[in-house]
Amino acid sequence: MRGAKSAKWVAIAAVVALGATACGGGGDTGNSGKGKSDGVVSVEIGQPQNTLVPSNTYETEGGQVIHALFTGLTKIDSSNKIVNDEAQSITTKDNKVWTIKLKPGYTFHNGEQVTAQSYVDAWNYGADQTNAQQTNALFSHIQGYSDLNPGAKKTVKVHTMSGLKAVSADTLQVTLTNPFSAFPTQLSFTGFVPLPKAFFKDPKGFGKKPIGNGPYEAKTSFVDNEGISLTKYAKFPEASQYKVKGINFKVYSNQDTAYKDLVAGNLDVLPVIPTSGLATYKKDLPGHNIDVPEGAVGFIGFPLKYNKAFANPKIRQAISMSIDRNIISSKVFLGARTPADDYVSPLIDGYRKGACGESCTYNPTKAKQLFKEAGGLPGNSLEIGYNADGDHKVWVEAVANQIQKALGVKVTAKPFEQFQSILNDLGAKKYQGAFRMGWQMDYPNMEDFLRPIFSKDAINNGSNYAGYTNPQFEKLLTEGDQGATAADAIKKYQAADDVLLKDLPYIPVYFYRLNTGFSNKISSMNLIAHQIDWTSVKLG
Amino acid sequence: MSEQIIERPVPADGPTAKAPQPEGKPERVASLWRDGWTDLRKRPMFLISAFIIVCLLVLAVAPGLFTARSPFSNGFCDLTNSMTGPGHGHWFGYDVQGCDIYTRTVWGTRNSIIVGVVSTVLTTVLGGVIGILAGLTGGWIDSLVSRFSEVFYALPILIGGLLVMSMVGSSNVWTVSLVLSVLGWPQVFRIMRGEVIGNKYNDYVAAARALGAGPMRIAFRHILPNTLAPIVVISTMNLGVYIATEAALSYLGIGVQSPSISWGLMINDAQDRWLTSPHALLFPAGALSLTVLAFIMLGDVVRDAFDPKLR
Amino acid sequence: MGRFVVRRVLQAIPVLIGVTFLIYCLVFLLPGDPIRALMGEKQDPHLALVLRARYHLDDPLVLQYWHYISGVFRGDLGTTYTGRSISDIVAQRFPITLKLALTAFGFEAVIGILAGILSALKRGKFLDNVVFIATLFLISIPVFVLGNVLQLELGVKFKLTPVAGIEDGWPASYVLPGLVLAATSMAYIARLTRTSMIESVRSDYVRTAIAKGLPRRRVIGVHALRNSLIPVVTFLGMDLGSLMGGAIITERVFNLPGIGGQLAQSVSLREGPVVVGLVTLLILIYLVANLVVDVLYAVLDPRIRYE
Repeated sequence: MRGAKSAKWVAIAAVVALGATACGGGGDTGNSGKGKSDGVVSVEIGQPQNTLVPSNTYETEGGQVIHALFTGLTKIDSSNKIVNDEAQSITTKDNKVWTIKLKPGYTFHNGEQVTAQSYVDAWNYGADQTNAQQTNALFSHIQGYSDLNPGAKKTVKVHTMSGLKAVSADTLQVTLTNPFSAFPTQLSFTGFVPLPKAFFKDPKGFGKKPIGNGPYEAKTSFVDNEGISLTKYAKFPEASQYKVKGINFKVYSNQDTAYKDLVAGNLDVLPVIPTSGLATYKKDLPGHNIDVPEGAVGFIGFPLKYNKAFANPKIRQAISMSIDRNIISSKVFLGARTPADDYVSPLIDGYRKGACGESCTYNPTKAKQLFKEAGGLPGNSLEIGYNADGDHKVWVEAVANQIQKALGVKVTAKPFEQFQSILNDLGAKKYQGAFRMGWQMDYPNMEDFLRPIFSKDAINNGSNYAGYTNPQFEKLLTEGDQGATAADAIKKYQAADDVLLKDLPYIPVYFYRLNTGFSNKISSMNLIAHQIDWTSVKLG
Repeated sequence: MSEQIIERPVPADGPTAKAPQPEGKPERVASLWRDGWTDLRKRPMFLISAFIIVCLLVLAVAPGLFTARSPFSNGFCDLTNSMTGPGHGHWFGYDVQGCDIYTRTVWGTRNSIIVGVVSTVLTTVLGGVIGILAGLTGGWIDSLVSRFSEVFYALPILIGGLLVMSMVGSSNVWTVSLVLSVLGWPQVFRIMRGEVIGNKYNDYVAAARALGAGPMRIAFRHILPNTLAPIVVISTMNLGVYIATEAALSYLGIGVQSPSISWGLMINDAQDRWLTSPHALLFPAGALSLTVLAFIMLGDVVRDAFDPKLR
Repeated sequence: MGRFVVRRVLQAIPVLIGVTFLIYCLVFLLPGDPIRALMGEKQDPHLALVLRARYHLDDPLVLQYWHYISGVFRGDLGTTYTGRSISDIVAQRFPITLKLALTAFGFEAVIGILAGILSALKRGKFLDNVVFIATLFLISIPVFVLGNVLQLELGVKFKLTPVAGIEDGWPASYVLPGLVLAATSMAYIARLTRTSMIESVRSDYVRTAIAKGLPRRRVIGVHALRNSLIPVVTFLGMDLGSLMGGAIITERVFNLPGIGGQLAQSVSLREGPVVVGLVTLLILIYLVANLVVDVLYAVLDPRIRYE
């Protein structure tokens, strides 16, 4: 069950969670906390994968700490819009050359001034393959990225990207390889924060006790599997907006235990309620819970590129219609996920309720009929692979039972060690069965739910593990990119989405929700993109 | 056998000290076991545990006698029943998939019993034989085998299981049993060796040796019966422990895998919801505890009845 | 005795080297890629290649092992694939598991032996039956059920003990986990002591000692006890090793950041060097504990002599 922990990485993490506002939380201060009102709150995190270097943190656990310690150029506000944070202005004429002016008055926790050079140095470090930073690929839009990434076992000769220039102390000029309109959105990710000079002298020591430019500074060094204490940074320009005086990030290896600690009052924030608490958390923590949609979708996929058995869309439609999504959402996920009826999350502009229509509606009779028409499956059996290190067994088995019942075929849920094991077998064309798959958006845009999973490019350079291709889909996607206004773009993307809904390369099964609990010490709070919005935390 | 007959000393005075015939030995053994059996039958603890174990064996062999439905039939599980508590017609309630827990508990007996029995037999034979030989031989062979066994013993069963199971990939009752045996034999070995060393300087061994008994004969005819008691105790208890360890491996997600049914797997599946729906965990856990209990009780009474030193 | 100890120590060296190689092979053979395991569902093939080269993952097994073992001889246990120093991991996690194991060891030795002696002396009486039922109970309840129930009742409901974690330090944070970890072995110790004690009490030398007019208390307390402790000491010695390594479940339930949790995580992440380092350490402890047991053997049983 240790796997469950790394599963948390797999499930939510290794993923850039840009966007996804999660507003909510109650204002019920009736039962005021027993905790001392010293203004310090404790927050559950999992053990971060790497040391706390922003460019090497590509998962939500370490990301939570980085987010409190650092401030970037832009941020996502509570209404899911990108707004300037440390940037005074971000301007461009062609979406290719960007000029960013910094606000004055920001300092690192050691007193050093934040300048344009702090950003240039940090990004060059992050993009350099010598440093093998987890967020390396995020810098790939910047001109000169390829010089810093010649490939494995080759030495890097240039350590600065030609597209990065500190024009003056407070002006940064960034040239991209190609126009990329979502660049300001990307800048809100914690991988793009600045680094002080002290970092480059001792990256290792820095990773234990980071010197950030954000609202909180590290009071102690990070102790593996225990955590780190933060305290408010008095010289932070917007310090007055932060009511919380200190944060203790506590590492838990077992979220069930964290939940018990939350209920017992030993923990103040549990960002993701574990399954063991889902049935009762609203009763256990009245008015102190958050339940909002999240930008992620769960699918069942097929090896379309080499298994002809699934080639007929009717087969996929039949399988899709054998799944009773409502009952899976309520019984298996206890409401923590909702039935999927589109490829796009409800959080996103462009989502259409019920877009999937009949194909995603439980109808065993019609399913059986379609299945027969399409000629069934060879051997009258179907395997659905899932990675056993994630929390997928229960729902995949439930889906298997339902398909078996509806179609009368033998359906087995087949565990794989890791998600990568499934991908390896798919790559080697060894695995013939269906497989589970999840997608969490990188940024809040409809395009991010289509291109990275279903485009031709994504077969080699993304997450198109099914190997699906459709020229019509590609064409509409490109038309969407060129849309004059956001509304035009969405229209084209929706047309592309319709192509998918007809073809059903993957079967959408559920949309994720975010369930968070907090103690009586806190009267209300919000999360934005999985991360606690510390300005929103009000103490009870 | 023939080897022992050849080695048997030829008595000087024929008829009176007639060498014990091969059938003479079973008679003595038989009386030991008969005495023990008479003793056993009088003990209520034995009757209780034997009754439970017989029931479990019947369950393992013919689960169909106790449930009308097969857990592998199409439509056996219905998600609408998910986590419904015990009630009329479904005494144990339903699990998260909406499968009847009673039926699954009944069908799960087989795998638990297989893991327990196979692992116990393998560890006892392996550990016992190596233990006797090492204990008697002594010297560098003993040292070598001891160090070797320590490696296995030192590799904690859960870690070893974790490693081996991760490597094997898909695991079933047989791989689980094998892993438990490979990692478990040093325990029996240690006890056996200790007992043999403790016994080897006893007078009766010296006497047997003086009478010309060969090492094999001394080992298996003289020392073995005297060291059997602790081995029987540890083995019967281990039977329960192996069943429990299989459950622990499943708890860590590396034991028997579905669609095979095992109590450990059922407990593992139920633990996420056990605060709200304890029944899904308690019934398989209860079956597990009862089984472990029965074997431990049996080990206890058998020891009391058969240990020559205690009688 | 001194020569015996030296010989045992020398014997341990090839065993340890063999074991490290064995474990290294096992982890090497595990299916899955440690770098990609860290990346989850969104893969970066370029970065994966860079990292594989950095950690010598494309080298043949023997070369990889050489990189590792030559580092060990230089006093460097290596790093994880996320760049964490393994020495740091050991230094941080080891004391926690050791504290937990020793707490459990104390519980099982004291309570187990005491219960066993009492129950042997009051054989067939009420106390004997109480101990008997208690041991059955402890042996037959799975650790994870026992741990969760006690944590919920004592920690969450009655707030008698910390729910989880090590913030309250030793002993507060370790008492309940120690007790849970000790439960099964404690029951074994009690039963083993009882059996062994009954055997000793009935043996000739005890009868002789009593016949000679020695006070019964002294005969039981010194002569019989000393003899009946031999199998118990064996068990205790062997158990220390399994307490250290078997704490995975207890550590998980009580969120103790010890070795067990790290090992399970490292196996699932395919972090060979971590697994080898920690397992070798566990085996080392076990070997030392065993040596102590064997020395104690000679102390307790004069019939056993080491040349």
